[in-house]
Amino acid sequence: MADATVNAKFVSQKISKIRWRPSHDQYTQESDVFASGSWDDEDCKVCLWRWPAGESMVDDDGLEFDSGRDLIELSSAPHYGDVSGLEFLSTDSIVVASSTGSVSLYKHHRSSQELNISSKWEGIHHYPSGKGCPCTCVATQGDDLVVSAGEDGRINVLNVSRKEPLRTIDKANSCTVNGITFLMQLEVISVDSSGQLKVFDLKQSSDEPCKVFSTLGEQIPIQCISRHPTQHHIVAAGGHDGVLSVWDLRQDKFPVTLLEAHSAPMWEVKFHPSNPDHLFTCSEDGSVLHWDGSSVSSLVTGTGAGSGGGSLFTQHSQQNSGSSNLGITSPWLAIESGRQKMDITTLLPNQTLPVNTIDILSQTLLAGSDEESIYMLDVPGIR
Amino acid sequence: MAERERDPYILEIPFTDSSFGLQGTWGLGNQLFVHSWNPYMMEGAQNINMKQFGTHIHEVLWEVDMHGPVTRKLVNETHNIFVTLQNLAKETSGSSLKPLLVKASKQYRSVLKACQLYLRSMLDCEESEERVYMFEEQIKIFDITELIWSLCEILWIDVAPGGIMMSQLLEWLRWHFSEGNSLYTDIQREEQPEHHKDYWDCIYRLVLQGQVDKVRILLSKHPSFRMDAFQSMDEVLRKMPQFSQLYRGNSLSEFEMKWRHWRSDIERRLGSQEFAISDNLTIIARILCGEESVFSELKDLCETWYHMLVSKMLYQKPTIQSIDLHFSIQTCMNEYRSDGRLGEYDSILSSAFEFDIHQVIKDCSAALSGWWFVAHLTDLLHHCGQLESHRLQFGSNLREFLLLDYATSLMSHRSLWQVGIDYLDSCPEFGRQYLELFVEKIPIESERKAHKVLSVCEKRNMSEQVKSICKMMGMQCIKNKRLGAALSWFLRSKDVAFATLIAEKFLMEYNENGQFSNLDVIDNLGPNMLISSRLTFLGKYREYHKLYEEEELHAAGSLLLSLLTSRLAPREFWVTLLRDAITLLEVKEIIYGSKETYELMHCLEELTKDRQYLTPDQDPDDLADLKQTTDLLNLALTRNLARSIVMEGNIKFS
Repeated sequence: MADATVNAKFVSQKISKIRWRPSHDQYTQESDVFASGSWDDEDCKVCLWRWPAGESMVDDDGLEFDSGRDLIELSSAPHYGDVSGLEFLSTDSIVVASSTGSVSLYKHHRSSQELNISSKWEGIHHYPSGKGCPCTCVATQGDDLVVSAGEDGRINVLNVSRKEPLRTIDKANSCTVNGITFLMQLEVISVDSSGQLKVFDLKQSSDEPCKVFSTLGEQIPIQCISRHPTQHHIVAAGGHDGVLSVWDLRQDKFPVTLLEAHSAPMWEVKFHPSNPDHLFTCSEDGSVLHWDGSSVSSLVTGTGAGSGGGSLFTQHSQQNSGSSNLGITSPWLAIESGRQKMDITTLLPNQTLPVNTIDILSQTLLAGSDEESIYMLDVPGIR
Repeated sequence: MAERERDPYILEIPFTDSSFGLQGTWGLGNQLFVHSWNPYMMEGAQNINMKQFGTHIHEVLWEVDMHGPVTRKLVNETHNIFVTLQNLAKETSGSSLKPLLVKASKQYRSVLKACQLYLRSMLDCEESEERVYMFEEQIKIFDITELIWSLCEILWIDVAPGGIMMSQLLEWLRWHFSEGNSLYTDIQREEQPEHHKDYWDCIYRLVLQGQVDKVRILLSKHPSFRMDAFQSMDEVLRKMPQFSQLYRGNSLSEFEMKWRHWRSDIERRLGSQEFAISDNLTIIARILCGEESVFSELKDLCETWYHMLVSKMLYQKPTIQSIDLHFSIQTCMNEYRSDGRLGEYDSILSSAFEFDIHQVIKDCSAALSGWWFVAHLTDLLHHCGQLESHRLQFGSNLREFLLLDYATSLMSHRSLWQVGIDYLDSCPEFGRQYLELFVEKIPIESERKAHKVLSVCEKRNMSEQVKSICKMMGMQCIKNKRLGAALSWFLRSKDVAFATLIAEKFLMEYNENGQFSNLDVIDNLGPNMLISSRLTFLGKYREYHKLYEEEELHAAGSLLLSLLTSRLAPREFWVTLLRDAITLLEVKEIIYGSKETYELMHCLEELTKDRQYLTPDQDPDDLADLKQTTDLLNLALTRNLARSIVMEGNIKFS
């Protein structure tokens, strides 16, 4: 595989979160705008950037010129506290979690390029004393549903049209919740500092998790989680020890695979949205890894452990056969059983300071680091 | 560098009373917290109205030059170059290191240049006068820094073979004195170039910088170019020996011979009045001959003494070695001294030409604010072996001294502390001590930041600091009534005492409420429970509850017994365990055989003997309750003993 092209931009702020704006056109995946949030500074910010495509452009006088691909800051807005979570809700609204315990909704006005707070849930994460407690993560579903979780072990369910949380699960966790994501319309999964995955069914009135998963052995905190974009029962989680774990939520409580990768806490893990055989991780040790499972997947469909059928129908037939015959339908579940080798590529060599956040869309990977820089990498070979 | 450089800086702190003294506490890096305080007046005088004396705490920061948004780019971008260089320097040495050092030096300069360009672009869209002034000042500083750096690079880092660095010096001139070149471009665009008011000035400037090709192009545009004088000058310029030949295998003596030959030719032409019809051409010829007086006449075009120095040497002694340059410095400087054009930067440059590295570094530290420049330059010179490793009267060597200062100024910034740490890592002698002191003072507002600080410590095996940070985080959690989270911090640092404390808090909660909180943590302890016996007990006791709930009564029973007999259970908890035993003794099935029942009876006896654990506060209610429990237990135990003896007897017979 050809080397990825790396573009770096020093932005004078440590980046804690970075997210591509979802494309407003349903039929293309492309987007050239993304949002970033900063942390650990006198004044933290939420910024919107444009990363123009690498082709030559036409300037005001109608002359063609090579853009030089410089990152353009579209707009920025102040943020109170560290940005600890940031997700797009729609193309022009962004949910931002703060270390002060609040969650804010930022609106981007395209005509004026202004970015400002349109609503805010103040202090929804707090200690018994009432003092604000860091919110650690947010996740969104549809264009109005948001969940947030924090160091107080609380999970809040928010609707953008309501001032108050729809629901609060006060004792969702005894430890800090580090990451949360939607599994289904009304089902979320959280990871925490005691190394457990908890699934909450928001339809049920009980505050107890409906399923709990945990790693064997020592309690290693889990820092992040990502759901497989098409096979919703597969999740990947990143541990404090830098280990990537893959879980099959249909199976019993332990991970399917543990893969050692980073030498320090893994801060984010991301499946490629349209090509989920590829996965990306970043870590405190300053590395960004590209996990290519596509070779595993071709082997699996060929020798088809237990499937026997053509690759096209593998998934389908197994869903019919029910949980008694859990076949291998994804490279992520095949690695361990098949002892297949996974291709792992380091994408950011020579980076020494932590990389806090990554996001991938189409061929461009974004990474935000404590070196006060944003990296834009073209990862060839995937779409 | 030991002597005092400047007068002490005096800062008056507002809202303080002179009748009170000041008390200060160190913050992080170059940060001090100052408040009013007088130990004598405070003693025994509670009713002093504190407001009167000012209750403010002042934060005092200094050396914050690197904290602006533009300079932050510089800090971060050069950090990577620095770290890469340190790693390379560890692996390579001697001649293979040199090209790497030259490359690093050029990288540093290009980052500096990029920041300067960025500042210029900001200047264009800035309206506030104050900020414009600030940006202009910053650009000026970057400019002079780059000038000094590139000269140092020529003299000490990218040393030309034999010390003959005229062509590098000419490059340096062209880069920093671009007036000639920009005029050249302007004039080129004119239809009648010779009418441009600066036509000849431009030519002189280019001659002074040795750019003969451009001079020939300009001359060729002159309408009189066909005249003999012009043709003769063109020929002379064409024949001028090129420095590039010096590097293409031609020996030095060969080049010198050519040069002498060329020089005598031009002197002859000048002497025979070949250029007499044009004053301008005469001036050019005089420059080419290296005539002393012509340089004084053109001093405004040279702009500075160092430009003049290089121009003069170019035509007087082109193969001069770098160590001989200083002989001509004074005459050039004297030209400019009269109109007061010499500043502090000039003395830095003259020290450089005099090869006094230490003076350069010293003056740069004083004149250029911030430690960024001197720290990086000194590091490069150190790796080049240009600094004698003499020890300072205090601290370590010069490199480490400057790096420590630079790192300290970074540590006092809210965001740049991570960069500062990498610089401290490169200080073999004191870096570690500095880091140990700094790391515990980094303010931590969230768990994520705590994890980051801990990662820094763990990577460097700073177990003391790990323990203290985890303790702080854990205590914070206890204060916020988050016992589960607190436990995870103490487990992380393997802090036995505090893990025990939390386990005790959990058990106390159980004793009071009859149920456990934080079950998700307790049930998931795993091998972690082994770090403290109290925690092990907690985990095992919870396991007993689970077994009991799952109606695994035999397993539950033997676990309960083993908790007692192994002495894992704390004495205060024995009553609770024995109470649990009652329920097991009362079930239909026989859980405990005679041997186990004896053991239980033994435990009860031991406990009743040791009364202090039963009712420490002698509360009458508790005493009555206890009496009832022991009676019940005695009864249950004897009945179970009888049952089990009968049962065991039966089994034996059958």
